[in-house]
Amino acid sequence: MGKLLMSGTPLRLAFGAALLLATVAARGSDWELDLDLRAVTSDAGASVLDGGYSPVRFGEHQSGLQLGRLRLALDLPLGEVWKLHLDASAWGNTYPNPIGLTEAYLEFRPYPRNDLRLRIKAGAFYPPLSLENRAGGWASPYTLSYSALDSWIAEELRTIGAEAKVDWLGTRLGLPLDISGVAGVYGWNEVAGGALATGGFLLDDRQTPLFGRVGELETEGGAYVNPFREVDGRAGYYGGMELNFPGRILITALHYDNRADPAAADFASQIFAWHTTFDTAGARVEYGPGWTLIGQWMGGRTAIAPPTGTLEWPFNTRYLLLSKRIGTHHTLSVRYDQFRVDSRNEESDGEQNGHSWTAAYVFDSGKSWTATLEYLRVISSSYSQREDFDLPGPVADTQVQLAVRYSLGAAGY
Amino acid sequence: MRLPARSSRTGTTTALALMALLGALLCSLRAPAATLTVAVTLPNGQPLADAVVTVRSNGKKLPAAAPMHAMMDQMNRMFAPEVLVVPVGSSVSFPNSDSVSHQIYSFSAAKRFQLPLYRGKPYAPVLFDRVGVVILGCNIHDWMIGYIDVTDAPFYGTTDAQGGWAAQVPPGDYEITVWHPRMHELTPTLVREISVDAGDRATLALQLTKPLRPAPMEGGSPSWGSY
Repeated sequence: MGKLLMSGTPLRLAFGAALLLATVAARGSDWELDLDLRAVTSDAGASVLDGGYSPVRFGEHQSGLQLGRLRLALDLPLGEVWKLHLDASAWGNTYPNPIGLTEAYLEFRPYPRNDLRLRIKAGAFYPPLSLENRAGGWASPYTLSYSALDSWIAEELRTIGAEAKVDWLGTRLGLPLDISGVAGVYGWNEVAGGALATGGFLLDDRQTPLFGRVGELETEGGAYVNPFREVDGRAGYYGGMELNFPGRILITALHYDNRADPAAADFASQIFAWHTTFDTAGARVEYGPGWTLIGQWMGGRTAIAPPTGTLEWPFNTRYLLLSKRIGTHHTLSVRYDQFRVDSRNEESDGEQNGHSWTAAYVFDSGKSWTATLEYLRVISSSYSQREDFDLPGPVADTQVQLAVRYSLGAAGY
Repeated sequence: MRLPARSSRTGTTTALALMALLGALLCSLRAPAATLTVAVTLPNGQPLADAVVTVRSNGKKLPAAAPMHAMMDQMNRMFAPEVLVVPVGSSVSFPNSDSVSHQIYSFSAAKRFQLPLYRGKPYAPVLFDRVGVVILGCNIHDWMIGYIDVTDAPFYGTTDAQGGWAAQVPPGDYEITVWHPRMHELTPTLVREISVDAGDRATLALQLTKPLRPAPMEGGSPSWGSY
């Protein structure tokens, strides 16, 4: 943060944001500006995303004041049923640009004329699989650090393409539930899986900007991972179902396959197409006086097939989160994560077996201020690289963050 | 919300007193009215608030209550009130007290409409001219759900926090219907018959046999989006 302040980046960003806001405010759009500052204490080494080995966001050397996130979101209604959504963020790290777009899409939301409703999104956005990241900017209202599952999504996945969702609105017929089907087609996400295979799961809240890169990771090719690449020209897909008892129970399942040809590679830039498939299922249960329980599982694999033979990394992760809202201002949450990446390759190019506890208290002033105190402890055996460098196997990392967030405006619906 | 003289809700004691006075004045001219009280409880004995009560005559046909102008607001991305009952022919306005836009719709047979509610822009009220339950949604905030019961009953209202509702009715035979959107009973009615004579103070106590479906978790943080 100190460096950032000296470089004047936040000032430039704030100035740019103010200009943009002045423009859109005049047009009657919805906008939101969030500034999230953190006081951090950590005993971890440098994060995987910063070229180190630890699965948390901040290392010991980053204890102190940090920029949590600076976010500007815009909703530009185009007529009544079309909307353009833009979401830009800065995390104060060393990505190529100080600020990047995390989502940019056009949405078509016609009114339901009978009990069926269609929704279409086109552009770049998150696939519909997070149960905890339900706040604006794909953030979690429960904790600062996302689950291992959602941290990976934030790191490597984005739908760059189109998605259609059909809802059968039983609740508008006097029945207790809605049933939805969703399907997406996308490209430019064929290196997704590369960072997971080489760096493992993290518990982090940084989202890779579109066409940005994941950290400073040193891969075999000597380059960081840019997950947003198209190598073989084949489109990927996902399909899923949702059962929704609104405000009470949401059950979701999704199958994801980026259909990358693992034998395809861009040899000039040493980029392989990573064939990544997974299934995920989960449920979110909300109970009257402020209780929320979320459980989600994901299992899949990612593979590349260079001429020397196929390399495959199966992975799975699950978490359980329990949250209680007390009154209108206080929320207490605790989450347990388990995660595993395996290497079926002879040379054992990485494997990870870990679990973590996250506990968070959120104070929501009900106006513009939110304060969050989070404790995160991760116990993880790390990648073989760790052993290669004579580091011990399983390592416990503890990170405590106090975040103060100030929000202006309201976008993202 | 303005209510016609023949219905009552929470805090309408003054209205009741006025009606009593009016009743006393009319006493010399007509048979005195009866006081009809309905008390609705859940299976565990707790009062059921916001239940819709409609009273129809079993004998001599009484005209529907006079149309009125009612209001259903949008506050904290919820409909307020969640349940509204209005006489057929009434109009309802949706003022939108939120800082975000809403897009109200219904595809219920009794009223199909769609109405965008942009911030700070007044909109004409919507006319409800057919009898039936109208279920409302918001095309932007999926979890918003509201109910307007459009009735041709001469007497109607919703129960107060104590589960009670009362009205002055002429002597006669009546059919009383109680309905709540989260009731388990699928035919949306609990019907009872009652006869009242002039000057009677009749009370109908009604207990549901099944608990309500749980209410959605109330008022998530306004910063929560549609994900």
